[in-house]
Amino acid sequence: MAEKIKILYIDDEMDNLTGFKATLRLDYQVFTAVNIPGAMEHLEKHADIRVIFCDQRMPITTGVEFFEEIRGTHPLPMRILITAYTDIESVIDAINRGNIFRFVKKPWMEPDLVSAIEEANKFYQANSMLSVKNEELQRAYSELDKFAYSVSHDIRGPLSGILGAINVAREMYDITEMKEMLFLMEKSLKKLDTYILSMHDYYSLQRGELHIGDIDFKKLTEEFKDIYKVFTNTANISFKVNINQREPFRSDTVPLKLILNNLLSNAFKYQNKNTDAKMVELTIDVHKGVATIQVSDTGIGILGNHLGEIFNLFYRASSQEAGSGFGLYNVKSALLKLNGQIEVNSVLNKGTTFKVTIPTK
Amino acid sequence: MELSFIVIDDTELDHFIARKMITNANSAFHVRSFMDASQALEHIMVDGHDDSIKVVLLFLDIYMPLMNGFQFVEAFEKLDQAIQDKYYIVALTSSIEISDINRISSYHSFRARITKPITADELKELLNKVIDEYGISM
Repeated sequence: MAEKIKILYIDDEMDNLTGFKATLRLDYQVFTAVNIPGAMEHLEKHADIRVIFCDQRMPITTGVEFFEEIRGTHPLPMRILITAYTDIESVIDAINRGNIFRFVKKPWMEPDLVSAIEEANKFYQANSMLSVKNEELQRAYSELDKFAYSVSHDIRGPLSGILGAINVAREMYDITEMKEMLFLMEKSLKKLDTYILSMHDYYSLQRGELHIGDIDFKKLTEEFKDIYKVFTNTANISFKVNINQREPFRSDTVPLKLILNNLLSNAFKYQNKNTDAKMVELTIDVHKGVATIQVSDTGIGILGNHLGEIFNLFYRASSQEAGSGFGLYNVKSALLKLNGQIEVNSVLNKGTTFKVTIPTK
Repeated sequence: MELSFIVIDDTELDHFIARKMITNANSAFHVRSFMDASQALEHIMVDGHDDSIKVVLLFLDIYMPLMNGFQFVEAFEKLDQAIQDKYYIVALTSSIEISDINRISSYHSFRARITKPITADELKELLNKVIDEYGISM
């Protein structure tokens, strides 16, 4: 059963509070207070109170005054005034000023209260939904800005390079030089292609749904051994894989592979050229429903002042390789989908270790 | 040669093109390449006093990891005036962002801005201007 809606009722007459609570406590979680300080205490403790009922005629502060006060400090709960017809002037005034959602006449009848709560709750939910959507929209806009900026560099950059190369080629007659340039052109185009593929990953991570299935890490990592054979053979980097899985693990292979692939390709790419025994080590332990994945390398390391920013979109902490600034951001997005965590440990010129923990679904 | 060249860019292809363009204009021109702007800065600090060179034409990319073009210029503007006077910095960028363009013109050390890819005509025009301004004998 869903959690009960929290409501608060303020009235200086104890009998009213008791009657109110007795009527509604089965269907709602009811908080009561005989005065304003008591009410404020409840509001501070329970930020998720959705509906506040308040009696109009109280000593010191009237209901209308109270609602006017908390409108600024606690804007989310729906405010409902309980009052007798004789106070109608002040009620009309309060409603017109937007301080009150509804009023219930005194003495109240149970159906009136329930319908007021249900209506108020609908409004509350619509408002919260709106603020969540607003936040998402704000984030999407700020990422769109980053994209617009990156298009000017990461897409136009390689293209202007290729155009420049074509210009130069018009006055180039040496075949070796031409081949050298073609090789560099290819490199630039591959970078552009990687950028576009990563952009696709980015989009599918933001929008795609999860497809949960059984994960066999041994099988999954066999694929990576093949992919990184090029590095192990040509760049003389040894690749150690240790898998320790004795229990089933359920997750989505697509974001899982994306995480592994980005961490591994970084580990291979950002190797320290001066190190003799170059190595990348992947360790996966599945224990009590949690997969712990560690990727360690003997690479160039990451300077401490960059560590906080490496998961940001388009952030690059090295000029050694052609990074797009997408990889670790996508890793973070994928982990968000799988409820996972990531930690990084790095020593400059010695190596970096990423530790990922993901719970089974 | 009284005129020398430095290219700072994080893309190898752009180095190749710039070098080719410059040596196509005059095969005697000497070009030094830096992938990392901070290394270029170190080089300038040490090597800035070679009296035979009147001016160094420095092509600077903007969008680079670690130290970008703006950070480079900010550090450059803190160097001795005598060193600064020897460098003619040109922003060479693929950016068409108005914010970048405005920011480039806000630094007095950026003497010119060229959008990639640089053409032979643009380079020729720039060379003529520098040769004229510094009274360089070719």
